[in-house]
Amino acid sequence: MTKKWVSKMTQYTQTFALLKANLKRDWIKILIWLAVLAGMFVAVAAKFEGIYGSPKQIATIAQTLRSQAMVSLFGPMTHASLNTAIIFASEMMVFWGIFMVIFNYSLSVGATRGQEESGLTEMVLGGHPVGRLAPIAAAGLELLVANSLFALITGFGMMAANMPGSDFNGNWLFAVTLALVGWTFGMISLIFAQLVADSHNVAIYNYAFFGITYLVRMMTDVANPDYTWLSPFGWIEKAGIYTENNWLPVGLLAILGLIAFGMAVALNVNRDIDAGIIQVRAGKRRSRFLRGPATLLLWNQKSISLFWIIGMAVLGASYGSVFNSISKIVNDSPVVRQVLGASGIAHAEKTQLLSFVGILGVIFGVLAVVGGAMVINHLYTEEIKGYLQLVNTKPQSRSYLLSTYFVYGWLLSVIILFAALMAAMGAGNAVLKHPLAFHYFWRTFVALVPVLTVFISALVALIGFLPRWRSIVWVLLGGSFMISYFGRLVDLPTWALKISPFYWFRKVPINEIDGTPVIWILIIAAVLIVIGYIGYRRRDFSN
Amino acid sequence: MKGDLVLETNGLQKSFGKFKALKDVNLQLHKGEVLGFIGPNGAGKSTTIRVILGLIKATGGSAEVFGQNVWKDSVKIHQDLAYVPGDVYLWPNLTGGQTIDLLLHMSGQAHTPRTDDLIKTFKLDTSKKNRTYSKGNRQKVALIAAFSTDVDLYIFDEPTSGLDPLNEVIFQNLVAELKKAGKSVFLSSHILSEVEKMCDTISIIREGKVIETGSLEAMQHLTRNTVVVKTQNPMTALKSAAGVHQLTFTDGHETAAEFSVDSDQIGNVMSLLSDSRIVQLKTTPPTLEDLFLRYYSANNDQKVGE
Repeated sequence: MTKKWVSKMTQYTQTFALLKANLKRDWIKILIWLAVLAGMFVAVAAKFEGIYGSPKQIATIAQTLRSQAMVSLFGPMTHASLNTAIIFASEMMVFWGIFMVIFNYSLSVGATRGQEESGLTEMVLGGHPVGRLAPIAAAGLELLVANSLFALITGFGMMAANMPGSDFNGNWLFAVTLALVGWTFGMISLIFAQLVADSHNVAIYNYAFFGITYLVRMMTDVANPDYTWLSPFGWIEKAGIYTENNWLPVGLLAILGLIAFGMAVALNVNRDIDAGIIQVRAGKRRSRFLRGPATLLLWNQKSISLFWIIGMAVLGASYGSVFNSISKIVNDSPVVRQVLGASGIAHAEKTQLLSFVGILGVIFGVLAVVGGAMVINHLYTEEIKGYLQLVNTKPQSRSYLLSTYFVYGWLLSVIILFAALMAAMGAGNAVLKHPLAFHYFWRTFVALVPVLTVFISALVALIGFLPRWRSIVWVLLGGSFMISYFGRLVDLPTWALKISPFYWFRKVPINEIDGTPVIWILIIAAVLIVIGYIGYRRRDFSN
Repeated sequence: MKGDLVLETNGLQKSFGKFKALKDVNLQLHKGEVLGFIGPNGAGKSTTIRVILGLIKATGGSAEVFGQNVWKDSVKIHQDLAYVPGDVYLWPNLTGGQTIDLLLHMSGQAHTPRTDDLIKTFKLDTSKKNRTYSKGNRQKVALIAAFSTDVDLYIFDEPTSGLDPLNEVIFQNLVAELKKAGKSVFLSSHILSEVEKMCDTISIIREGKVIETGSLEAMQHLTRNTVVVKTQNPMTALKSAAGVHQLTFTDGHETAAEFSVDSDQIGNVMSLLSDSRIVQLKTTPPTLEDLFLRYYSANNDQKVGE
């Protein structure tokens, strides 16, 4: 009995040593994420009273938040009497939940498959007295440490911010719920890391799973919030922060996380190192299709590209399917109806819907850049991994190679955006009494293409000149999104808002596209592209 | 003579920041020749090859392939060149067969019966995904593609580091075939027996400098043969003989000895030995191993042959 127990425990030998090594490797990453996530969270909280302090301000925002559009984005607002803290919670909950999940995914993939791919796990397990389950346990603990730090910083930060309507219980519930949702999705990611054999596929499974939970949350919130319990991501809304302060979701998330970890461990025991539970089947012995860098890129990227396009179309369609409820004017009292008249109501409804299309455009645009940029990033990751050394010694020029990735990435991002908008239009017009004309969606699309282009060009410039700093493009993209999304919430000055390329098209599709910023943005993009090509032709390849 | 130079570098230098990876690399590969490029890990072999392939830019000196600049004209040069890296990394989602076809297509070549023969010879299961291959199998994929490519220059960077002895022999035979067909081969290695068997000329690199170039025979005159000998009468005269080094008597009567002798003194030493009546004699010519050890255990500024 004891012997068996001892042999079980030896499977975890050196877990803490590995944890220490992981933290040593990742501490900068964790620190930056925490500074941004916890820091911004607390900063917004501290400033929030100034924006939504007075009853009048609260009443105005409450109206917006109760509209179906906002419910689909932020979750439902059920509480009757509102205060600053409740507004804060309902605006921040879902978004910060998303960021926490992304943060944890990036850590967990790196600590599991990423580490295994680099050969580190094999060295550690094969050559040192380290338990077989130590790496996965260390990964679980690393996430626990990172999320606990988040909870501590936000918890104390919220207490310091001391918003009207906030209390000790609510502050800590908020902090712990966000930390736990991150950790739990991280633990679920550990399962996927056992199923498939490379980090790329783990990331696909991760985000597919998260996408489903997010969509379920969104659809059920709009249709019937009771069903939101179906989605683990929806549980965070059920905590009723600053209202009911329900700790049940915290317990549920913790249990789900532990179960996921247990499953991951069970799967880990039953697989070989560097292998996945899902076996790779034998493939073709010959290929007529593969002829050069372009066909190779298409071949390697086809599944994930399709996944992006379909996924974004589904996202677009699900937003579209709630168009009818979004168009409803929240304040449709008889007096208002009388004043506006039938055509006036229709006009107001249309304007409300069109501004929602504009917001959707920004969200789709950001995601489209992510999809395209991931392709272009491959040009560098394949270079470091050594895959390109055989391509670079063939009679193809560097410019051609860069063009292949650049054009593919740019096209993919444009197609993703188009697919999402068209799906939103299709689904939306199916549920609307007065369908929205195609040209509104087309205008949104056309306005966003230069924005996509400038982000993609920035990445091309980085890959050409400073490939190690290519992640700057995520900072630019995230920053621009944050500025245009939260900028107005936190009352940023106009010059700061103007940094975001999205700012220049904020009135689209209600108004026409302004040509001047389009030209400027395209000029900047052209300069960045030229810089990228010059850099790429001149620099040493790293492998 | 200049006309049949396939590869030439003169005073080639490459620095990474402050670190000088290549200080002075001079190489010459003539048409139809197999040039061995040996040196320990970190001596600059791969860096030199990467400069020659136009993957990284030299910071000094010149490098030409087919009389063209390796950096500016890399695309043209690559039309007539096949390369197998020391560590082969392949796209995990492709099968070995798909990879071979892709590599052939990119060089403007086609999958020929020779390709199929090579796949059979190396016993590679081409239906498997690259991610399931071992290092040796990934190397086979690149080797099969390279050997079935019909070009003028073949560059191999430590080509057999992942292969078992059987496949090593296959590789050596294939290189011999290339040589017979008049192709030029540039081969880097730290496996000396491999270079010894295949190469016409050898260049030795150490700490970023090519310190010696020549045929194996030409280098041997610089080195010492190892002699193991038994005689009837004591070999006292050996102790004072010129060109004899590391003399040890293996019995008390000084009738059994081991020593090394400079190649140009071997005649004199032999006549000394025959005076003592040889019973048993074994001389071993220096292997590259010995050459190698001698060069690399030497001080930095000690020239070869001193």
